[in-house]
Amino acid sequence: MKRSLLFFVLLLPLLYLLISVQSANDPIKYIFTCTGISSLIILILSLSLTPLKKIINLIKYRRMMGLFSFFYALLHFLNFYILDAQFDVTFVLKETLDKPFIYLGMIAFSILLFMAITSTRKLFAKFNKWHKLVYIVLILVVIHEAMAQKVLGNLEFMFIFMTIVLLGYRAFLFRVKWLKKKK
Amino acid sequence: MTIIKKPDWYISENEVTDEALFNKRRNFLKLGAAALVSSSVIAEKLAAVENVKRESLKFQKTTFGKGLELNSYDQASTYNNFYEFSTSKSDPAKMAHTLKPNPWDVEILGEVENPMVISLEDIYNSYPLEERIYRFRCVEGWSMVVPWIGVTLSHILQKAKPTSKAKYVKFTTLVDPKQFPDQKAGKLFPNIPYPYVEGLRMDEAMNELTFMSVGMYGKMLPNQNGAPIRLVVPWKYGFKSIKSIVSIELVEEEPLNTWKMINDLEYGFYANVNPNVDHPRWSQAKERKLGSFFKTETLMFNGYEKEVGHMYKDMDLRRYI
Ligand code: HEM
Repeated sequence: MKRSLLFFVLLLPLLYLLISVQSANDPIKYIFTCTGISSLIILILSLSLTPLKKIINLIKYRRMMGLFSFFYALLHFLNFYILDAQFDVTFVLKETLDKPFIYLGMIAFSILLFMAITSTRKLFAKFNKWHKLVYIVLILVVIHEAMAQKVLGNLEFMFIFMTIVLLGYRAFLFRVKWLKKKK
Repeated sequence: MTIIKKPDWYISENEVTDEALFNKRRNFLKLGAAALVSSSVIAEKLAAVENVKRESLKFQKTTFGKGLELNSYDQASTYNNFYEFSTSKSDPAKMAHTLKPNPWDVEILGEVENPMVISLEDIYNSYPLEERIYRFRCVEGWSMVVPWIGVTLSHILQKAKPTSKAKYVKFTTLVDPKQFPDQKAGKLFPNIPYPYVEGLRMDEAMNELTFMSVGMYGKMLPNQNGAPIRLVVPWKYGFKSIKSIVSIELVEEEPLNTWKMINDLEYGFYANVNPNVDHPRWSQAKERKLGSFFKTETLMFNGYEKEVGHMYKDMDLRRYI
Protein backbone atom coordinates (compact mmCIF):
# COMPACT_ATOMS: atom_id res chain seq x y z
CA MET A 1 0.00 0.00 0.00
CA LYS A 2 2.66 2.50 1.08
CA ARG A 3 4.81 1.21 -1.73
CA SER A 4 2.22 1.91 -4.40
CA LEU A 5 1.59 5.35 -2.94
CA LEU A 6 5.30 6.15 -3.25
CA PHE A 7 5.29 4.74 -6.77
CA PHE A 8 2.45 7.08 -7.67
CA VAL A 9 4.14 10.10 -6.07
CA LEU A 10 7.34 9.41 -7.97
CA LEU A 11 5.33 9.34 -11.20
CA LEU A 12 3.84 12.78 -10.57
CA PRO A 13 6.74 14.69 -12.20
CA LEU A 14 6.14 12.69 -15.37
CA LEU A 15 2.40 13.40 -15.34
CA TYR A 16 3.10 17.06 -14.76
CA LEU A 17 5.61 17.09 -17.60
CA LEU A 18 3.19 15.41 -20.02
CA ILE A 19 0.48 17.96 -19.30
CA SER A 20 2.58 21.11 -19.19
CA VAL A 21 4.97 20.42 -22.05
CA GLN A 22 2.23 21.12 -24.56
CA SER A 23 2.19 24.77 -23.65
CA ALA A 24 5.94 25.13 -23.11
CA ASN A 25 7.64 27.84 -25.15
CA ASP A 26 10.84 25.85 -25.54
CA PRO A 27 9.74 22.21 -25.26
CA ILE A 28 13.12 20.52 -25.67
CA LYS A 29 14.72 22.70 -23.01
CA TYR A 30 11.66 22.24 -20.83
CA ILE A 31 11.95 18.45 -20.99
CA PHE A 32 15.66 18.67 -20.11
CA THR A 33 14.79 20.77 -17.08
CA CYS A 34 11.88 18.65 -15.80
CA THR A 35 13.54 15.27 -16.26
CA GLY A 36 16.98 16.44 -15.11
CA ILE A 37 15.76 18.18 -11.96
CA SER A 38 13.38 15.29 -11.11
CA SER A 39 16.20 12.78 -11.48
CA LEU A 40 18.59 14.81 -9.34
CA ILE A 41 16.08 15.54 -6.57
CA ILE A 42 14.97 11.90 -6.35
CA LEU A 43 18.63 10.88 -6.28
CA ILE A 44 19.32 13.24 -3.37
CA LEU A 45 16.21 12.03 -1.51
CA SER A 46 17.20 8.40 -1.99
CA LEU A 47 20.66 9.12 -0.63
CA SER A 48 19.17 10.95 2.35
CA LEU A 49 17.53 7.74 3.52
CA THR A 50 20.86 6.49 4.87
CA PRO A 51 21.50 9.34 7.34
CA LEU A 52 17.76 9.42 8.15
CA LYS A 53 17.85 5.73 9.13
CA LYS A 54 18.50 6.57 12.78
CA ILE A 55 15.31 8.61 12.95
CA ILE A 56 13.07 6.70 10.60
CA ASN A 57 14.06 3.62 8.68
CA LEU A 58 12.89 3.85 5.08
CA ILE A 59 15.77 1.95 3.55
CA LYS A 60 13.40 -0.52 1.92
CA TYR A 61 12.26 2.25 -0.43
CA ARG A 62 15.76 3.17 -1.51
CA ARG A 63 15.85 0.81 -4.47
CA MET A 64 12.58 2.12 -5.92
CA MET A 65 13.74 5.69 -5.58
CA GLY A 66 17.07 4.92 -7.17
CA LEU A 67 15.32 3.27 -10.08
CA PHE A 68 13.03 6.27 -10.52
CA SER A 69 16.04 8.56 -10.52
CA PHE A 70 17.45 6.39 -13.30
CA PHE A 71 14.10 6.42 -15.11
CA TYR A 72 14.07 10.26 -15.28
CA ALA A 73 17.73 10.28 -16.32
CA LEU A 74 16.79 7.85 -19.10
CA LEU A 75 14.01 10.19 -20.31
CA HIS A 76 16.56 13.02 -20.11
CA PHE A 77 19.00 11.04 -22.24
CA LEU A 78 16.26 10.10 -24.73
CA ASN A 79 15.33 13.77 -25.01
CA PHE A 80 18.95 14.43 -25.92
CA TYR A 81 19.17 11.56 -28.40
CA ILE A 82 15.73 11.86 -30.03
CA LEU A 83 14.65 15.51 -29.94
CA ASP A 84 17.93 17.38 -29.44
CA ALA A 85 20.26 15.26 -31.59
CA GLN A 86 17.50 13.93 -33.87
CA PHE A 87 19.09 10.42 -33.84
CA ASP A 88 22.34 11.83 -35.20
CA VAL A 89 24.87 9.44 -33.63
CA THR A 90 27.86 11.40 -34.97
CA PHE A 91 26.54 14.52 -33.28
CA VAL A 92 26.04 12.65 -29.99
CA LEU A 93 29.59 11.27 -30.10
CA LYS A 94 31.11 14.60 -31.08
CA GLU A 95 29.30 16.45 -28.31
CA THR A 96 30.22 13.77 -25.78
CA LEU A 97 33.92 13.87 -26.62
CA ASP A 98 34.02 17.65 -27.04
CA LYS A 99 32.07 19.16 -24.21
CA PRO A 100 32.75 18.58 -20.50
CA PHE A 101 29.13 19.52 -19.83
CA ILE A 102 27.93 16.56 -21.89
CA TYR A 103 30.56 13.97 -20.91
CA LEU A 104 30.00 14.57 -17.21
CA GLY A 105 26.32 13.84 -17.84
CA MET A 106 27.19 10.76 -19.92
CA ILE A 107 29.50 9.33 -17.26
CA ALA A 108 26.85 9.92 -14.60
CA PHE A 109 24.20 8.31 -16.78
CA SER A 110 26.41 5.28 -17.51
CA ILE A 111 26.92 4.68 -13.79
CA LEU A 112 23.19 4.99 -13.14
CA LEU A 113 22.53 2.53 -15.97
CA PHE A 114 25.02 0.08 -14.48
CA MET A 115 23.37 0.44 -11.06
CA ALA A 116 19.90 -0.05 -12.51
CA ILE A 117 20.99 -3.26 -14.25
CA THR A 118 22.68 -4.63 -11.13
CA SER A 119 19.82 -3.73 -8.83
CA THR A 120 18.16 -7.15 -8.94
CA ARG A 121 18.45 -9.18 -5.76
CA LYS A 122 20.92 -11.60 -7.30
CA LEU A 123 23.19 -9.11 -9.00
CA PHE A 124 23.03 -6.66 -6.13
CA ALA A 125 24.48 -9.28 -3.81
CA LYS A 126 27.47 -9.42 -6.08
CA PHE A 127 27.80 -5.75 -7.02
CA ASN A 128 26.58 -3.89 -3.95
CA LYS A 129 30.06 -2.55 -3.18
CA TRP A 130 30.07 -0.87 -6.57
CA HIS A 131 26.86 0.98 -5.74
CA LYS A 132 28.93 3.42 -3.67
CA LEU A 133 29.67 4.94 -7.09
CA VAL A 134 26.36 6.71 -6.72
CA TYR A 135 28.23 9.42 -4.80
CA ILE A 136 30.32 10.05 -7.91
CA VAL A 137 27.05 10.37 -9.84
CA LEU A 138 25.83 12.93 -7.32
CA ILE A 139 28.98 15.04 -7.68
CA LEU A 140 28.97 14.82 -11.48
CA VAL A 141 25.31 15.70 -11.81
CA VAL A 142 25.53 18.65 -9.44
CA ILE A 143 28.38 20.01 -11.57
CA HIS A 144 26.42 19.19 -14.74
CA GLU A 145 23.33 20.99 -13.46
CA ALA A 146 25.39 24.05 -12.50
CA MET A 147 26.98 24.04 -15.96
CA ALA A 148 23.54 24.15 -17.58
CA GLN A 149 23.03 27.62 -16.06
CA LYS A 150 24.40 30.93 -17.29
CA VAL A 151 24.78 32.18 -13.72
CA LEU A 152 24.52 30.23 -10.46
CA GLY A 153 21.40 30.75 -8.35
CA ASN A 154 19.77 29.50 -5.16
CA LEU A 155 18.93 26.10 -6.60
CA GLU A 156 22.58 25.43 -7.46
CA PHE A 157 23.75 26.47 -3.99
CA MET A 158 21.12 24.20 -2.45
CA PHE A 159 22.28 21.21 -4.51
CA ILE A 160 25.91 21.90 -3.59
CA PHE A 161 24.95 22.18 0.08
CA MET A 162 23.05 18.87 0.00
CA THR A 163 26.00 17.19 -1.69
CA ILE A 164 28.40 18.41 0.98
CA VAL A 165 26.06 17.20 3.74
CA LEU A 166 25.61 13.75 2.20
CA LEU A 167 29.31 13.29 1.44
CA GLY A 168 30.20 14.70 4.86
CA TYR A 169 28.01 12.11 6.53
CA ARG A 170 29.69 9.34 4.51
CA ALA A 171 33.14 10.63 5.44
CA PHE A 172 32.08 10.70 9.08
CA LEU A 173 30.89 7.06 8.96
CA PHE A 174 34.11 6.07 7.26
CA ARG A 175 36.21 7.70 9.95
CA VAL A 176 34.25 6.08 12.77
CA LYS A 177 34.76 2.68 11.17
CA TRP A 178 38.42 3.34 10.66
CA LEU A 179 38.94 4.41 14.28
CA LYS A 180 37.20 1.25 15.50
CA LYS A 181 39.46 -0.87 13.34
CA LYS A 182 42.56 0.83 14.71
CA LYS A 183 41.54 -0.04 18.24
CA MET B 1 16.64 68.72 -31.01
CA THR B 2 14.58 70.27 -28.25
CA ILE B 3 14.30 69.34 -24.65
CA ILE B 4 10.87 70.13 -23.32
CA LYS B 5 11.04 71.64 -19.86
CA LYS B 6 8.13 70.67 -17.76
CA PRO B 7 6.15 73.58 -16.23
CA ASP B 8 5.61 73.66 -12.47
CA TRP B 9 1.96 72.76 -12.72
CA TYR B 10 2.79 69.69 -14.70
CA ILE B 11 1.61 66.52 -13.02
CA SER B 12 3.37 63.48 -14.29
CA GLU B 13 1.08 60.90 -15.75
CA ASN B 14 1.65 58.35 -13.06
CA GLU B 15 0.42 60.73 -10.36
CA VAL B 16 -3.00 60.98 -11.91
CA THR B 17 -5.38 58.17 -11.29
CA ASP B 18 -6.36 57.47 -14.80
CA GLU B 19 -9.12 55.24 -15.96
CA ALA B 20 -6.86 52.32 -16.62
CA LEU B 21 -5.50 52.40 -13.10
CA PHE B 22 -8.99 52.77 -11.67
CA ASN B 23 -10.06 49.72 -13.58
CA LYS B 24 -6.97 47.93 -12.51
CA ARG B 25 -7.86 48.48 -8.86
CA ARG B 26 -11.38 47.30 -9.47
CA ASN B 27 -10.05 44.25 -11.19
CA PHE B 28 -7.70 43.69 -8.32
CA LEU B 29 -10.62 43.69 -5.90
CA LYS B 30 -12.50 41.30 -8.09
CA LEU B 31 -9.46 39.12 -8.16
CA GLY B 32 -9.52 39.06 -4.39
CA ALA B 33 -12.29 36.54 -4.67
CA ALA B 34 -10.13 34.47 -6.95
CA ALA B 35 -7.52 34.31 -4.20
CA LEU B 36 -9.52 31.44 -2.87
CA VAL B 37 -8.80 29.67 -6.09
CA SER B 38 -5.11 30.09 -6.78
CA SER B 39 -2.42 32.69 -6.30
CA SER B 40 -0.65 31.90 -9.55
CA VAL B 41 -3.83 32.62 -11.44
CA ILE B 42 -3.86 36.05 -9.83
CA ALA B 43 -0.29 36.79 -10.75
CA GLU B 44 -1.08 35.94 -14.33
CA LYS B 45 -4.33 37.92 -14.41
CA LEU B 46 -2.61 40.92 -12.88
CA ALA B 47 0.19 40.73 -15.41
CA ALA B 48 -2.46 40.67 -18.11
CA VAL B 49 -4.22 43.68 -16.60
CA GLU B 50 -0.93 45.58 -16.56
CA ASN B 51 -0.58 45.00 -20.24
CA VAL B 52 -3.89 46.65 -21.07
CA LYS B 53 -2.18 50.03 -20.93
CA ARG B 54 0.14 49.41 -23.86
CA GLU B 55 -0.93 51.65 -26.65
CA SER B 56 -0.97 51.00 -30.36
CA LEU B 57 1.70 52.71 -32.42
CA LYS B 58 1.54 54.30 -35.85
CA PHE B 59 4.12 52.78 -38.14
CA GLN B 60 5.05 51.96 -41.69
CA LYS B 61 5.23 48.33 -42.78
CA THR B 62 8.43 47.25 -44.53
CA THR B 63 9.58 44.22 -46.48
CA PHE B 64 12.13 43.15 -43.87
CA GLY B 65 11.53 39.53 -43.01
CA LYS B 66 8.85 38.95 -45.58
CA GLY B 67 7.99 35.27 -45.68
CA LEU B 68 9.25 34.47 -42.19
CA GLU B 69 6.76 32.73 -39.95
CA LEU B 70 6.06 34.90 -36.89
CA ASN B 71 6.07 33.64 -33.35
CA SER B 72 3.02 34.58 -31.35
CA TYR B 73 2.92 37.65 -29.14
CA ASP B 74 2.36 35.30 -26.24
CA GLN B 75 5.54 33.38 -26.91
CA ALA B 76 7.67 36.49 -27.38
CA SER B 77 6.33 38.12 -24.21
CA THR B 78 6.45 35.16 -21.81
CA TYR B 79 9.93 33.81 -22.55
CA ASN B 80 12.36 36.54 -21.60
CA ASN B 81 15.89 36.84 -20.31
CA PHE B 82 15.74 39.93 -18.11
CA TYR B 83 18.06 39.34 -15.16
CA GLU B 84 17.15 42.67 -13.55
CA PHE B 85 13.95 40.83 -12.62
CA SER B 86 14.89 37.17 -12.47
CA THR B 87 16.97 34.46 -14.11
CA SER B 88 13.80 32.51 -14.83
CA LYS B 89 12.41 33.09 -18.28
CA SER B 90 8.76 33.08 -17.25
CA ASP B 91 9.15 35.42 -14.23
CA PRO B 92 9.82 38.72 -16.03
CA ALA B 93 6.31 38.70 -17.55
CA LYS B 94 4.86 38.44 -14.04
CA MET B 95 7.25 40.85 -12.33
CA ALA B 96 7.86 43.58 -14.88
CA HIS B 97 4.96 45.79 -13.79
CA THR B 98 7.42 47.52 -11.43
CA LEU B 99 9.17 49.05 -14.43
CA LYS B 100 7.79 52.49 -15.31
CA PRO B 101 8.52 53.11 -18.98
CA ASN B 102 6.84 56.49 -19.16
CA PRO B 103 8.15 59.18 -18.91
CA TRP B 104 11.59 58.09 -20.11
CA ASP B 105 14.66 59.86 -21.44
CA VAL B 106 17.63 58.52 -23.35
CA GLU B 107 20.85 60.45 -23.14
CA ILE B 108 23.20 60.57 -26.11
CA LEU B 109 26.66 61.68 -25.11
CA GLY B 110 30.39 61.17 -25.47
CA GLU B 111 32.16 61.75 -28.76
CA VAL B 112 29.36 63.71 -30.43
CA GLU B 113 29.05 67.31 -31.56
CA ASN B 114 25.44 67.40 -30.49
CA PRO B 115 24.90 65.76 -27.11
CA MET B 116 21.19 65.37 -26.55
CA VAL B 117 18.45 63.92 -24.43
CA ILE B 118 15.60 62.36 -26.33
CA SER B 119 12.33 61.54 -24.72
CA LEU B 120 10.03 58.76 -25.75
CA GLU B 121 7.64 61.33 -27.16
CA ASP B 122 10.43 62.61 -29.41
CA ILE B 123 10.94 59.15 -30.78
CA TYR B 124 7.25 58.54 -31.34
CA ASN B 125 6.76 61.93 -32.97
CA SER B 126 9.90 63.03 -34.74
CA TYR B 127 11.11 59.79 -36.29
CA PRO B 128 9.14 57.72 -38.76
CA LEU B 129 8.44 54.42 -37.02
CA GLU B 130 8.65 51.29 -39.10
CA GLU B 131 7.95 47.61 -38.59
CA ARG B 132 10.63 45.04 -39.28
CA ILE B 133 10.32 41.32 -38.95
CA TYR B 134 13.60 39.87 -37.70
CA ARG B 135 14.90 36.53 -36.57
CA PHE B 136 16.05 36.63 -32.97
CA ARG B 137 18.58 33.99 -31.85
CA CYS B 138 19.55 33.53 -28.19
CA VAL B 139 23.04 32.27 -27.29
CA GLU B 140 21.25 29.56 -25.26
CA GLY B 141 20.02 27.92 -28.45
CA TRP B 142 16.41 29.08 -28.78
CA SER B 143 15.06 31.50 -31.35
CA MET B 144 11.97 33.39 -32.43
CA VAL B 145 10.70 35.66 -35.19
CA VAL B 146 9.36 39.01 -33.99
CA PRO B 147 7.77 42.01 -35.72
CA TRP B 148 9.60 44.91 -34.06
CA ILE B 149 8.58 48.55 -34.37
CA GLY B 150 11.17 51.27 -34.13
CA VAL B 151 13.75 53.38 -35.90
CA THR B 152 17.11 52.68 -37.49
CA LEU B 153 19.79 53.48 -34.93
CA SER B 154 21.83 55.40 -37.50
CA HIS B 155 19.01 57.95 -37.89
CA ILE B 156 19.28 58.79 -34.22
CA LEU B 157 23.10 58.78 -34.15
CA GLN B 158 23.32 61.04 -37.20
CA LYS B 159 21.35 63.73 -35.39
CA ALA B 160 23.91 63.63 -32.59
CA LYS B 161 26.77 63.93 -35.12
CA PRO B 162 29.47 61.53 -33.95
CA THR B 163 32.99 63.02 -34.05
CA SER B 164 35.92 61.33 -35.79
CA LYS B 165 36.99 59.92 -32.44
CA ALA B 166 33.79 57.91 -32.09
CA LYS B 167 34.83 54.31 -32.77
CA TYR B 168 32.33 52.41 -30.65
CA VAL B 169 28.87 52.88 -29.17
CA LYS B 170 28.22 51.95 -25.56
CA PHE B 171 24.65 51.33 -24.40
CA THR B 172 23.54 51.24 -20.77
CA THR B 173 20.38 49.90 -19.13
CA LEU B 174 18.55 51.76 -16.37
CA VAL B 175 19.70 51.26 -12.78
CA ASP B 176 16.86 51.74 -10.34
CA PRO B 177 16.32 49.34 -7.45
CA LYS B 178 12.70 50.50 -7.17
CA GLN B 179 11.97 49.33 -10.67
CA PHE B 180 14.35 46.38 -10.93
CA PRO B 181 14.06 44.07 -7.90
CA ASP B 182 17.40 42.34 -8.50
CA GLN B 183 19.18 45.68 -8.13
CA LYS B 184 18.05 46.13 -4.53
CA ALA B 185 20.83 47.45 -2.35
CA GLY B 186 22.04 44.82 0.05
CA LYS B 187 21.16 41.94 -2.19
CA LEU B 188 23.99 39.56 -1.39
CA PHE B 189 24.29 37.89 -4.78
CA PRO B 190 22.73 39.91 -7.59
CA ASN B 191 22.23 37.78 -10.72
CA ILE B 192 24.71 39.90 -12.69
CA PRO B 193 26.69 43.11 -12.08
CA TYR B 194 24.78 46.33 -12.85
CA PRO B 195 24.32 48.38 -14.90
CA TYR B 196 23.93 46.09 -17.90
CA VAL B 197 26.21 47.36 -20.63
CA GLU B 198 26.45 46.48 -24.31
CA GLY B 199 28.44 47.83 -27.22
CA LEU B 200 28.78 47.91 -30.98
CA ARG B 201 31.56 48.92 -33.32
CA MET B 202 30.73 52.12 -35.19
CA ASP B 203 30.13 50.39 -38.53
CA GLU B 204 27.87 47.87 -36.83
CA ALA B 205 25.92 50.64 -35.15
CA MET B 206 25.49 52.46 -38.46
CA ASN B 207 24.40 49.32 -40.32
CA GLU B 208 20.97 49.54 -41.85
CA LEU B 209 19.75 46.50 -39.87
CA THR B 210 20.62 47.91 -36.44
CA PHE B 211 17.35 48.93 -34.94
CA MET B 212 16.11 50.81 -31.87
CA SER B 213 12.81 49.20 -31.02
CA VAL B 214 9.98 50.84 -29.09
CA GLY B 215 7.29 48.34 -29.92
CA MET B 216 6.32 44.93 -31.17
CA TYR B 217 3.21 43.30 -32.61
CA GLY B 218 1.73 46.70 -33.38
CA LYS B 219 1.98 48.12 -29.87
CA MET B 220 4.48 49.58 -27.42
CA LEU B 221 6.98 47.11 -26.00
CA PRO B 222 5.74 45.17 -23.00
CA ASN B 223 7.99 45.85 -20.02
CA GLN B 224 9.50 42.37 -19.98
CA ASN B 225 10.71 42.84 -23.54
CA GLY B 226 12.74 45.92 -22.62
CA ALA B 227 10.29 48.80 -22.57
CA PRO B 228 10.28 51.52 -23.49
CA ILE B 229 13.28 51.35 -25.82
CA ARG B 230 15.75 48.62 -26.66
CA LEU B 231 18.34 47.69 -29.20
CA VAL B 232 17.73 44.94 -31.77
CA VAL B 233 20.79 43.60 -33.60
CA PRO B 234 19.40 40.63 -35.50
CA TRP B 235 22.68 39.04 -36.64
CA LYS B 236 24.05 38.84 -33.09
CA TYR B 237 23.09 36.69 -30.13
CA GLY B 238 20.21 38.13 -28.14
CA PHE B 239 22.26 39.40 -25.22
CA LYS B 240 23.65 42.14 -27.49
CA SER B 241 20.11 43.51 -27.91
CA ILE B 242 20.17 45.47 -24.66
CA LYS B 243 16.89 46.45 -23.01
CA SER B 244 15.42 49.53 -21.30
CA ILE B 245 18.23 51.82 -22.47
CA VAL B 246 18.95 55.10 -20.67
CA SER B 247 22.20 56.10 -22.30
CA ILE B 248 24.00 55.82 -25.61
CA GLU B 249 27.59 56.92 -25.39
CA LEU B 250 29.99 57.25 -28.31
CA VAL B 251 33.46 56.20 -27.25
CA GLU B 252 36.98 55.63 -28.56
CA GLU B 253 37.68 52.26 -26.94
CA GLU B 254 35.79 49.00 -27.16
CA PRO B 255 33.37 49.02 -24.22
CA LEU B 256 33.37 46.00 -21.90
CA ASN B 257 29.96 44.39 -22.32
CA THR B 258 28.33 42.68 -19.33
CA TRP B 259 28.48 39.05 -20.48
CA LYS B 260 32.08 39.38 -21.59
CA MET B 261 32.87 40.85 -18.19
CA ILE B 262 31.16 37.92 -16.44
CA ASN B 263 32.85 35.21 -18.50
CA ASP B 264 35.14 36.19 -21.35
CA LEU B 265 35.98 32.60 -22.27
CA GLU B 266 32.38 32.00 -23.28
CA TYR B 267 31.05 35.40 -24.36
CA GLY B 268 32.82 37.96 -26.47
CA PHE B 269 32.25 41.49 -27.69
CA TYR B 270 31.08 40.51 -31.17
CA ALA B 271 28.71 37.63 -30.39
CA ASN B 272 27.82 37.16 -34.04
CA VAL B 273 25.45 34.25 -34.60
CA ASN B 274 27.69 31.54 -36.04
CA PRO B 275 26.67 27.89 -36.45
CA ASN B 276 30.33 26.88 -36.98
CA VAL B 277 31.63 28.14 -33.64
CA ASP B 278 30.16 26.35 -30.64
CA HIS B 279 29.63 27.75 -27.21
CA PRO B 280 32.04 25.78 -24.96
CA ARG B 281 29.10 24.07 -23.29
CA TRP B 282 26.69 23.54 -26.15
CA SER B 283 26.49 23.37 -29.92
CA GLN B 284 25.33 26.39 -31.92
CA ALA B 285 24.75 24.48 -35.16
CA LYS B 286 20.98 24.30 -34.70
CA GLU B 287 18.31 26.20 -32.85
CA ARG B 288 14.98 25.56 -31.14
CA LYS B 289 12.39 27.96 -32.52
CA LEU B 290 9.92 28.73 -29.74
CA GLY B 291 6.88 26.48 -29.84
CA SER B 292 8.59 23.75 -31.84
CA PHE B 293 9.59 20.23 -30.83
CA PHE B 294 12.09 20.12 -33.67
CA LYS B 295 15.35 21.92 -34.20
CA THR B 296 16.26 23.87 -37.33
CA GLU B 297 19.63 24.81 -38.81
CA THR B 298 21.12 28.04 -37.55
CA LEU B 299 22.19 30.34 -40.38
CA MET B 300 25.48 32.23 -40.60
CA PHE B 301 24.96 35.70 -39.11
CA ASN B 302 21.45 34.47 -38.36
CA GLY B 303 20.60 34.71 -42.06
CA TYR B 304 21.86 38.27 -42.52
CA GLU B 305 25.22 37.43 -44.10
CA LYS B 306 24.47 39.46 -47.22
CA GLU B 307 23.86 42.61 -45.21
CA VAL B 308 26.60 42.28 -42.58
CA GLY B 309 29.17 39.70 -43.73
CA HIS B 310 31.46 42.34 -45.28
CA MET B 311 32.13 43.93 -41.88
CA TYR B 312 33.93 40.80 -40.68
CA LYS B 313 35.73 39.74 -43.85
CA ASP B 314 39.23 39.89 -42.40
CA MET B 315 38.41 38.72 -38.91
CA ASP B 316 39.04 35.30 -37.39
CA LEU B 317 35.56 34.53 -36.14
CA ARG B 318 36.83 31.75 -33.87
CA ARG B 319 38.92 34.24 -32.01
CA TYR B 320 36.52 37.16 -32.00
CA ILE B 321 33.55 35.38 -30.52
C1 HEM C 1 23.06 11.03 -20.58
C2 HEM C 1 23.87 12.04 -20.55
C3 HEM C 1 23.34 13.43 -20.38
C4 HEM C 1 23.20 14.35 -21.35
C5 HEM C 1 23.57 14.21 -22.82
C6 HEM C 1 22.65 15.53 -20.75
C7 HEM C 1 22.39 16.69 -21.44
C8 HEM C 1 21.83 17.82 -20.88
C9 HEM C 1 21.47 18.99 -21.59
C10 HEM C 1 21.67 19.21 -23.09
C11 HEM C 1 20.93 19.86 -20.71
C12 HEM C 1 20.28 21.22 -21.00
C13 HEM C 1 21.21 22.29 -21.30
C14 HEM C 1 20.44 23.54 -21.64
O1 HEM C 1 20.10 24.28 -20.74
O2 HEM C 1 20.18 23.77 -22.82
C15 HEM C 1 20.99 19.24 -19.42
C16 HEM C 1 20.58 19.84 -18.26
C17 HEM C 1 20.46 19.17 -17.06
N1 HEM C 1 20.77 17.85 -16.83
FE1 HEM C 1 21.59 16.57 -18.13
N2 HEM C 1 22.43 15.30 -19.42
C18 HEM C 1 22.84 14.00 -19.16
C19 HEM C 1 22.78 13.35 -17.95
C20 HEM C 1 22.14 13.84 -16.84
C21 HEM C 1 21.88 13.10 -15.64
C22 HEM C 1 22.27 11.65 -15.40
C23 HEM C 1 21.22 13.95 -14.80
C24 HEM C 1 20.64 13.73 -13.42
C25 HEM C 1 20.73 12.64 -12.73
C26 HEM C 1 21.10 15.22 -15.45
C27 HEM C 1 20.54 16.34 -14.90
C28 HEM C 1 20.42 17.56 -15.52
C29 HEM C 1 19.93 18.73 -14.89
C30 HEM C 1 19.43 18.84 -13.45
C31 HEM C 1 19.96 19.75 -15.84
C32 HEM C 1 19.58 21.22 -15.64
C33 HEM C 1 18.26 21.48 -16.23
C34 HEM C 1 18.00 22.96 -16.37
O3 HEM C 1 18.30 23.73 -15.47
O4 HEM C 1 17.46 23.32 -17.41
N3 HEM C 1 21.67 15.12 -16.70
N4 HEM C 1 21.52 17.99 -19.55
